[in-house]
Amino acid sequence: MIELDCAIDAGTFHLEVRAKLDAEVVAVLGPSGSGKSTLLEAIAGLRPAQGTIRVGGERLDGRPPEQRRVGWVPQDVALFPHLDVRANIAFGARLPAPRIAQIVEILELAALLDRDPDTLSGGERQRVGLARALAADPRVLLLDEPLAAVDVVHRTRIVPWLIAIRPGVPILHVTHDLGEAAALATHALILREGRVHAQGPVERTLTAAYAVVPDLALDNVITGEVRADGLFHVADGALAVPRGATPGVAAYAISADEIMLATKRPEGLSARNVLEARVLAIDGIDAHDAIVRVSALGHELRAKLTDAAIDELSLAADAPVFLVMKSHALRRVR
Amino acid sequence: MTGDFGIVTFTVFAAAVSTAVIAIPGVAAGYFLARHRGATRGLLETFLALPLVLPPTAVGMMLLHLLRPRGALGHLLESIAFPVVFTWRGVVIATAVMSFPLLVRSARTAFEEVDPRLLDVARTLGATRLSAFTRVALPLARRGVTAGLLLAFSRALGEFGATILVAGNIEGETQTLALAIFHRTQIGDDTGAMRLVGVTVVLAFAAVWTTELLLGKRSAAR
Repeated sequence: MIELDCAIDAGTFHLEVRAKLDAEVVAVLGPSGSGKSTLLEAIAGLRPAQGTIRVGGERLDGRPPEQRRVGWVPQDVALFPHLDVRANIAFGARLPAPRIAQIVEILELAALLDRDPDTLSGGERQRVGLARALAADPRVLLLDEPLAAVDVVHRTRIVPWLIAIRPGVPILHVTHDLGEAAALATHALILREGRVHAQGPVERTLTAAYAVVPDLALDNVITGEVRADGLFHVADGALAVPRGATPGVAAYAISADEIMLATKRPEGLSARNVLEARVLAIDGIDAHDAIVRVSALGHELRAKLTDAAIDELSLAADAPVFLVMKSHALRRVR
Repeated sequence: MTGDFGIVTFTVFAAAVSTAVIAIPGVAAGYFLARHRGATRGLLETFLALPLVLPPTAVGMMLLHLLRPRGALGHLLESIAFPVVFTWRGVVIATAVMSFPLLVRSARTAFEEVDPRLLDVARTLGATRLSAFTRVALPLARRGVTAGLLLAFSRALGEFGATILVAGNIEGETQTLALAIFHRTQIGDDTGAMRLVGVTVVLAFAAVWTTELLLGKRSAAR
């Protein structure tokens, strides 16, 4: 449980956050300049803040950063350039060696231990930053876009693992990527102009996020379960997904750009997923494009279409449509 | 020639002690200036730059008034039997004051190049302010700091104006290379003066060249 009731004065910028985040993974979303990173820095004790900051019932405010035990991974990761990967991870290590070895193994860093940070790729750097923060046995993880540079292969492995280590270690997770948010987080905190715009369970708050974060990737996130038949089962149906999916609880993301709509059931099409759906509403984005919100498979999904296409198909609220998704356009995020 | 040798060793000794005396406060002041903004910083910076722009004899005069037996500080020093004026300690203090700003400036520049993010991360990983400094800032700024120490040492080797006022020019006691060159010229011993000039050129060259090597390595590493 993270309880925030604080005001942060960052020069020209003022941030006021009152939130009770009773979830173990919370995505912090908002447009650039809304105060996401500032909030994490204040929790870490790196910026003066008035008010109270509580994590797991313990008050952190008023303590210097070294006594807060937070695992902070800034956006640029900030690995110590004069230390190799091993010494970076060991810098603030509080966990016993076998636990650290386990972290190194899961984040696939064993081969990198003797390397200098400036020889690492962006994704490798972020994994080292995560390992360094985790080795210090934090009471909360503050991650500023931690997976932005991590490639998809590693991401699909790290995400379930970060979820597995959750018990007792809440994660506050700043992101621009809704797929990442939905994959990791159960709750979202949406900031706008230094204030809390919305907070609550991720499914409910992400709609609010679309409205305030114009540069947010317009990902649809579908939650369900991959079963032994290799299909991704959701509330009322199943989707074909790329082969070889590991069975279990899963979430897939698909960009709004990659969903096609048709007024008749298409035939002779290579796309594996053709679903019956119903148009809920059409939201204009600008002079040329719009987001068509449809209901399918018990989810609300968004397709990005040009105005010309919407006119041609005479789409309107409540119209029945068919929704077309290539199986390969579905990215597993959990 | 034994006289020459004595002068050279005394000069190197006094410059080394002077550099050792200012090392910790100089590096600390450089770090403070690199990490802080605001009015105090500007004031402190100006104050610290004074020895660079004032005539060394003016600085020497102020030190003399402060340190002489009836001076504000001299009184105290006298009571603990630590005479400064016209002793080797006077040489050390005069050169320390004159070379202090050079160390502070080099250290400040070196610390300014250290990403403050790194110090923030160190703090969240459990490091106190002091240990973030010793484990992160200092290792990353070590070349610039070492160069600053060498610059201060070089300045101390050649200090004249402040030294002659505070420590006088006492052969075998407070006479450094710079003072001895002046003295020999005055009494017409040009050959003797030139010998010492040769020695100072070699010493200064070595110190400045080492500094350049250190600073060059830093820019090459980036």
